[in-house]
Amino acid sequence: MNKTKRIENTFDIVRILIAIAVAYLIALIILALISDDPLNVIGLFIGGPFSSKKHIGDIFTRMIPLIFTGVCMCFVYAINKFNLAGEGAVNLGGCLAACVAIALKETGVPGWICIILCIAVGALAGMLANAIPAVADQAFHADVCVISLMLNYILLYFTTFILKNVIKDQGAAVTASYKLGNKVKLPKLIPGTTIHIGLIIAIACVIFVAILFYKMPFGYKMRAVGINPTFAKYIGIPVTSTIILAQVIGGAFAGMGGAVQILGMFPRYKWESLTNYGFDGLMIAVLARKNPILVPVSAFLIAYIRNGADLVATKTQIPPEFVSIIQGIIIVLVAAEMFLSGWKKKLIFNAARKDLKEKEAKA
Amino acid sequence: METHKEALKMENITKIYPNGFVANKGITFSVAEGEIHALVGENGAGKTTLMKVLFGMEQPQEGAIYVGGQQVKITSPLDAIAKGVGMVHQHFMLVPSMTVAQNVLLGIEPKKHGLVDNAACIKKTQELSDKYQFGLDATAAVADLSVGLMQKVEILKALAKGAKVLILDEPTAVLTPQETRELFEQLKLLKKNGHSIIFISHKLEEVMELCDNVTILRHGYCNGSYPISDLNEAKLSRLMVGRDVVLKIEKPDPKPGKAILEVKSLEKLSDTGKVVLDHVSFTIREGEVLGIAGVEGNGQSFLSDCISGMQKYDGGDILLNGKSIKGRKIADIRQSGMSNIPEDRMTVGCVPSMSILDNIMADRFERRENMNGIFMDKQKALKITDDLIKEFEISCDDRSEAIRLLSGGNIQKVVVAREFTSGANFVLANQPTRGVDVGTAEMIRKYLVRQVREQNIASLLISADLNEVLEVSDRLLVMRQGRIVAAFPKANMVSEDELGEYMLGIKTMTPEEMEGLL
Repeated sequence: MNKTKRIENTFDIVRILIAIAVAYLIALIILALISDDPLNVIGLFIGGPFSSKKHIGDIFTRMIPLIFTGVCMCFVYAINKFNLAGEGAVNLGGCLAACVAIALKETGVPGWICIILCIAVGALAGMLANAIPAVADQAFHADVCVISLMLNYILLYFTTFILKNVIKDQGAAVTASYKLGNKVKLPKLIPGTTIHIGLIIAIACVIFVAILFYKMPFGYKMRAVGINPTFAKYIGIPVTSTIILAQVIGGAFAGMGGAVQILGMFPRYKWESLTNYGFDGLMIAVLARKNPILVPVSAFLIAYIRNGADLVATKTQIPPEFVSIIQGIIIVLVAAEMFLSGWKKKLIFNAARKDLKEKEAKA
Repeated sequence: METHKEALKMENITKIYPNGFVANKGITFSVAEGEIHALVGENGAGKTTLMKVLFGMEQPQEGAIYVGGQQVKITSPLDAIAKGVGMVHQHFMLVPSMTVAQNVLLGIEPKKHGLVDNAACIKKTQELSDKYQFGLDATAAVADLSVGLMQKVEILKALAKGAKVLILDEPTAVLTPQETRELFEQLKLLKKNGHSIIFISHKLEEVMELCDNVTILRHGYCNGSYPISDLNEAKLSRLMVGRDVVLKIEKPDPKPGKAILEVKSLEKLSDTGKVVLDHVSFTIREGEVLGIAGVEGNGQSFLSDCISGMQKYDGGDILLNGKSIKGRKIADIRQSGMSNIPEDRMTVGCVPSMSILDNIMADRFERRENMNGIFMDKQKALKITDDLIKEFEISCDDRSEAIRLLSGGNIQKVVVAREFTSGANFVLANQPTRGVDVGTAEMIRKYLVRQVREQNIASLLISADLNEVLEVSDRLLVMRQGRIVAAFPKANMVSEDELGEYMLGIKTMTPEEMEGLL
């Protein structure tokens, strides 16, 4: 019977790989149809992101916020509550981290303490953002998905309000905050690339979450509550507090993601729209089969596809939005559990038959 | 059998589920017209699957089905009904708010001017009921009927659609002895009318009494078909489980010690405000099993939910080891000595998609001795799980196997293993052997009795299986309509018939008669 489990596991991975291959194939066909110079464009799309040290570095830089939100959404999946406030949490985390950075700019506080403070405030902001729908759901049975989607806009307008009224640099040509200052700028990891130490922080978070999920009692509780809350109640696991706590911890990573992105990439805070990192996190988590350890892998894949599309857009007339097609197809095929299930069943039947024959031969 | 025409034949049926479980392997059996044919086997032997194949709910990988000598392919339940195969499910498929007539003729209502002809509906249903002496009122709402009558509506529904072959899946599981006897009379009448009946049951004495022939399934294989006259109960159970099953449980007399669980004038209202527990009082002491018998739905589930902390109660109190459990968290109640084998193992008792290890460790992963600092101690968990798999003879490939891939009996063993080893001194066992094969049921019952005697713990056994409550319990109570209506000091001195009379409300004990026995 363990054979069955092995087939199911192998199959899941094969299915994702096939989904990616199918999506790529379709995207390549589209590129070939709309381009005057298909071979060149396809080469750019596939090989471009790896064509130079700087380009490779860009993939890793792009991964950073995706890892944070992907990890956040792993919590959401584990407890089976669709709290999407991770999206707004990125804005809130980034905005409040910027406020802290600006406030500490002229003080004598050392840079590394400022950075820690900024990221900590970002994490707290994310926890708060995720806590609101979580508590509303548990206390008032307000649908967590609806509340969190609405909350994202409240958070966006709140951060825009702060940007325009509290930290706006009147001297700047566009709407932007005061300069955050060089002492909170996240140091570069590898010279000649844009990779900053945010990547290390992101990987550390992944490791921490993987340990929390699989080695610590809280991870066990979360999974039990997520799969079967009745059982969790019966066995004595505190269902309500586990559900809320899981969402709050998840939110911390989305908020940190916002803070790290602002400190690592921008001299000023100027987000006036949702970043989409939160929703991307949902996709990353699905691709990672809801397993935090695989989040960096799926974040890498998405970052690679997007960088390829950006390169195509800068050199040709084809807009980068065409990657949405690839992403869409991948997600549909991965999420569609029946995709290739006939094949899976056949494999399992054959394995069972073989088993049976062996047993009969022995007997 | 040779003189009768063959009504149905299933030939060389093989069914493999998508999870790789081989439920049926090359099963062949046939039923003649006017025959009651028993299908027996341990849980997980493949009876239900075989009947699902026959009723079109599952498609076999191999094999052929013949109805009335013609090979047919049954693609759906509707198709099965059209071909004259009817099924009475274990869980009734009725619309409670509609009348008997509406339920029986659902989808085949007589029409007048394109509209449903109610009068004709009622007339047709009443005629059908009278013909087979079912004693149903065609105009009554199904919700108001007793379980026994609902089952008759189910049978009638199949007959109205022209079923020649009737499948009854454990029809007596929900019936009292009196109702069972009535059902048997009616089934014999159907047989006389030329209907063929496939009777699935765990209760061997019923098979012996009612059926003409029996087909035995074992681990998905067919273990032969026999005329009942060639068999006795002992032989039959040997064919089913491959060894003699001791139906009697040997146990020393109880030496009850101090009170462990005290239920004091417990009251509970349902969500709709109906009184479901009406001043229920009893005490369970160290070293004894208290049984509660009763037709299902008479408050037993509410009682067990109140004791386990799954639901709040509205009046009275429950003391566990001298402390009230009112308003306490389940973790806390478990801490003070409760363990609970729930009625519904798949939705309450386990997480089907998690491993055996995860399911066993569920109540103890956070205990200090199973932790390594802030981490769960993997080695400890592996040892605990392996020991229990061995002790309870849980058949599985290994401990990391998802529990949903096990058979029903083995899943129940996992639940029982966890609950009996939680260190509690009170075990609440609600239908602990429901839908479990004979061998596993016997093991669970013996284990319960042994634990209670040797560890000097207390147990409350709630069961619809009369044999079980009579065999396992020391003292016995009967519950009806949320009240205790009878109390017996020695369970094994009570006859099934006597019990049935209290369960059905023909007799009730006065509080004076029960005094000192609660």
